[in-house]
Amino acid sequence: MYRADEDYGYASMPDFGDHVDNGIFSQILEMDESEGERDFSEPLVTNFFEQAEETFVKMDRALNDKNLDELSSLGHFLKGSSSTLGFNKIRDSCQIIQQYGHKLSVDGTPEADDTICLEKIGEALKSVKVDTAELEKAMKKFFGQTD
Amino acid sequence: MPAPTPQPTPSLTPTPGLSVLSCLSKPPSLDPGPIQPPSPSLSGSVSASPAQSQSTFAVAGTANVTDIFYYSPLALLELSPSCCITRASARFLSDWRLSADQCIGHQLHLFLEKQIHPSTSISQVHAVIDAIDDAISARAERTSKPINTNHEAACRARVLPVFNGHQLLAITLEWQERPTALIESELVKPGLSTDEAFRILVQALKDYAIFLLDTTGHIATWNTGAELLKGYTRDEIIGKHFSVFYGKDDLEAGKPDMELAICLREGRVEDEGWRYKKDGTRFWANVIITAVYKHGLHVGFGKVTRDLTERKASESRLITAYEESEKLKSDFLANMSHEIRTPMHGMLSACSLLLDTDLTVRQRDIANIMDESGKVLLQVINDILDYSKLASGSFSVTSDIVGVASIIASVVRGVQTTLHPAVHFELFLAPDLPKSVQGDPLRFRQIVQNLVGNAAKFTEKGSIRVKASLQAEDVDSYTVLTEVTDTGIGIPENSTAHLFTPFTQFDVTTTKRYKGTGLGLSISKSLSELMGGRIGYRPNQERHGSVFWFTARFKKIKSLGQIQDWKNQLASKDGSLLPAPNTEAVDLQAELAKVASTRTLLLVEDNVINQKVMLGILRSIGFRNVQLASNGAEAVNMVRAKPVGYDLVLMDINMPILDGHQASSRIRESGINIPIVAMTAYALKGDRERCLEYGMNDYIPKPVDKKYLIRTLAKWLLSKSDVRRSVGPGQLGPPELGLALLDKNRALLEKNLNKVQDPSSVVEVTNEEQKEQPGAESVSG
Repeated sequence: MYRADEDYGYASMPDFGDHVDNGIFSQILEMDESEGERDFSEPLVTNFFEQAEETFVKMDRALNDKNLDELSSLGHFLKGSSSTLGFNKIRDSCQIIQQYGHKLSVDGTPEADDTICLEKIGEALKSVKVDTAELEKAMKKFFGQTD
Repeated sequence: MPAPTPQPTPSLTPTPGLSVLSCLSKPPSLDPGPIQPPSPSLSGSVSASPAQSQSTFAVAGTANVTDIFYYSPLALLELSPSCCITRASARFLSDWRLSADQCIGHQLHLFLEKQIHPSTSISQVHAVIDAIDDAISARAERTSKPINTNHEAACRARVLPVFNGHQLLAITLEWQERPTALIESELVKPGLSTDEAFRILVQALKDYAIFLLDTTGHIATWNTGAELLKGYTRDEIIGKHFSVFYGKDDLEAGKPDMELAICLREGRVEDEGWRYKKDGTRFWANVIITAVYKHGLHVGFGKVTRDLTERKASESRLITAYEESEKLKSDFLANMSHEIRTPMHGMLSACSLLLDTDLTVRQRDIANIMDESGKVLLQVINDILDYSKLASGSFSVTSDIVGVASIIASVVRGVQTTLHPAVHFELFLAPDLPKSVQGDPLRFRQIVQNLVGNAAKFTEKGSIRVKASLQAEDVDSYTVLTEVTDTGIGIPENSTAHLFTPFTQFDVTTTKRYKGTGLGLSISKSLSELMGGRIGYRPNQERHGSVFWFTARFKKIKSLGQIQDWKNQLASKDGSLLPAPNTEAVDLQAELAKVASTRTLLLVEDNVINQKVMLGILRSIGFRNVQLASNGAEAVNMVRAKPVGYDLVLMDINMPILDGHQASSRIRESGINIPIVAMTAYALKGDRERCLEYGMNDYIPKPVDKKYLIRTLAKWLLSKSDVRRSVGPGQLGPPELGLALLDKNRALLEKNLNKVQDPSSVVEVTNEEQKEQPGAESVSG
């Protein structure tokens, strides 16, 4: 599971697959004072999952209310933190949610049909939850937390 | 010859025993039969006068004295000098509803004792005897106090002692029924016990309506006060049901009958409310109804009504005035606190800047004290602001998602670092605790923070246990109980009452030892009440210390189940590979680090995670002076407060309250030319142009790459003078111009960079820019 990432020289960088941008995430890990004590990254990641959890609940509600504006802004919000940590899969789904919340397709062309927008957001939300859960599990393992 | 004792006074003694004796000592002949003259009659006929009277004025043909006495229109009794009744007039007998046998020959006091009303005191009899004694000693007419008789009259006796020289011949009592105007015969009829003094009092009282109801609630008596207060005369109201005084609402609610029922059950009922007068106007009444019993039998109700309209009006005026002044005070505090906070931030920032400079040990100590005191003062101000907001009612609880467990865990994590080493934390989260609920996460956190923070502050060894559990649950809400148990200094019993009172700390010595405003708990109390909960304290039963608890009610989130489902599924991986990030190694850091310690940055970012990461990156580059603003408005204020205090602003675009674009515009409008670097995620085509349009100087994509950030910061901080000249408030041209300027700067920078970089990295930069801003005219290396 753990492999040395020689390209970047981060000895203990695990492989999170396509979930995580190693370059960005290693930047975060670098800010820890020691590898034994992940005093910076660990609470940060924990905070992120709390934030994600809370955002998903809000998204569910907004989706239920067919509130595209709110969905877009929530998408943007979580996209911010996920991309900061390099959690790309989450970021990408958030981008989709943000775009369709603006009634735009991913490539920026207008999508006038609300129902399609909501449908796309629904799909993205589904997959982002799955991705998040998966990543959270992996992160916990990485930080040596027990479930 | 009758031989009455010559001494006038001693013969009459109020002591029954003596009187009886004296009566018995008389020869039987002295007590003649009914309607007979006092002496053995010689004549028994018309003209005879008592022999001993030796009447000189008897005229033939005048009526027999005995008859005159008997038929007199007055209620008369004749007594022997020993107070034995010797004669009674017909009027007396009829008034008192007696036969002659019932009085003649009886000792007066014994007779009267039988005749007085059972409810009255025997002392009334003594009063009559006293009057007789008095009359005899004075040899003059006297009138006794009235007595209440069996035949329900109040009678007083006019005492006429009859003397022949020094010899007392007889005593005549003329009984007068007192005028009855003041006597409530109605009161007596239901058989209720009364005393005349009280009756007069009740009758005369004008400020209280006092009246009796019968067992069914019909009005039986009526006093002056009742007449004045309710406007009904006695005749109009007697016999009516008392519900006539109640308003429509009360009648519909069945209040009159309810009151009687309660009164019967509890003996008494008191009520305040509107009552109605005869003319339909209402008054605010205090009503007390008392059940009245006679010999254990319920006979009716006594009702006392007071008009409190005026008092109520003045009370409500007072309350209004008080509330008004409280609100003014709170508003003032809220406004002032805000005004105070802004310069306070400035002072603290300056202080932390000072601490970052080279200081002597002594200077550092002093600066640390300033910093620490400043922080305490800021906390005080924040508390007061919160408190005054709460007090002025302008505090609202937002509705958002609350992760109860995660908030508690995060507070505990935060406080853990400040704990004494001999204290350990125990965190219990009940398994049934809802993970996410709807409520105000910030306020919930504030209470937890306060209670846990207090526990940490006051506990030097032992443990702090934080326990959260589900106290109650209904269809759409949860009530969460959070308990914080510590083994700290505890709270003296006499202080527990004031724990939640504002501005109190439980003793002065702790104020000195433990910093604080004394507002935390009172704020927590208000907050928990705002969240539909309660807060409380009890001593720690197991060990010395305190237990603080609070409850908060949260709404349920209907879609919560969904989240859990998705979480559990852990479905298959999916998603496309993204291009590898740009991680070129640019070593501008060393150069930047040289200036970093003297540069102050303002980071404007609403997402805390991004804040933390950015702070971490900036610190790792060497920036020690990074100020935070969590929205555009805050940033504008901070920059305006210190126009030359910052060297660069890192500005997030999408933020609540005031977004990055607007914030930048306002900063430029204030004539401040500070470099502003936008940070925005996944920039779309046109985003960059828009940033420039709003007066920003540059732009970095999110997620912020450290190397990229270093390059950008280097560009603006190392070539600062150039930048400040190039973009001013007057030069906000069309996007093309801004872009051109930017590109010009970039070109300059790239040139500079070339000196320190290897060629490959330059290529990377160019590639990335082309990738990120496909629409922009990119500069080639």
